[in-house]
Amino acid sequence: MAGEEEIADTIKPEFPTGRIKRIMKLDKDINKVTSEALFLVSCSTELFLQFLAERSAEVAMEKKRKTVKLDFIRTAVKRHRPTSDFLLDSLPAPTESSLPIDRPRSRAVEDKPAPPGTRRIDQFFRKPENEAPIEINDS
Amino acid sequence: MGDNVAGASNDDGYIKEQDRLLPIANVGRIMKQILPQNAKISKEAKETMQECVSEFIGFVTSEASQKCRKERRKTVNGDDICSAIGTLGFDDYAGPLRRYLQRYREVEGDRANQEKGGNSNTEDKEEPASSYGTNQPINQAGRSNFI
Repeated sequence: MAGEEEIADTIKPEFPTGRIKRIMKLDKDINKVTSEALFLVSCSTELFLQFLAERSAEVAMEKKRKTVKLDFIRTAVKRHRPTSDFLLDSLPAPTESSLPIDRPRSRAVEDKPAPPGTRRIDQFFRKPENEAPIEINDS
Repeated sequence: MGDNVAGASNDDGYIKEQDRLLPIANVGRIMKQILPQNAKISKEAKETMQECVSEFIGFVTSEASQKCRKERRKTVNGDDICSAIGTLGFDDYAGPLRRYLQRYREVEGDRANQEKGGNSNTEDKEEPASSYGTNQPINQAGRSNFI
């Protein structure tokens, strides 16, 4: 038949079926799945991947970058409500280095002058035990 | 591919990843097809995409299986998947999926006709739960219909 190869090519899923099935069966409630169901999961997963890749590439373009990074994927996820509903929490948390805000990484306690009359909390931990207990209130 | 059989795992982390993620090569290839020619993908981004698609599969599967439970059916079928996809907000996929399904059924129908008088597989085949970890051919003729 003339169109047969064409049809076979167009419906050939990109993902190994066995792996798709294995991932589905991680859900203990899943008993049996039909081959049609398996096929549709494979197709829809491919569609989803294409969608997310495209959206992430858009973000990269906006930022004038050639490399698609995790942060761009995260932005793309946030922009699409159904996707962010199930996916946002699963993404790794943004690392500090990726934060655009310029803030000191760590601030030593000594840098900040204490307001008069107060004691620093770390003083309590530094004092040796045989010293007299520190009075907080001078009564 | 025959090493990790029956769910037994020697190196827990490694084997489990193989079971719960789609191959990074496939993921990367599909991404490359979509991205502009000169675009690159960071390794972290590719790995993240792997996780994302597995989450997607789990999400759709869970929704479909809930429907089956409610209707007291044991087998998840194609309609359950379509319905789950719609419920989760991905209605744009409904059209393409229906077309894919139609073509799939046509091809399956052709194959069944070719196997004269044999075990026709136009009926939905059920995958038993015990096939976890193995790659059993669905078609009784011994060929996988998918790849």
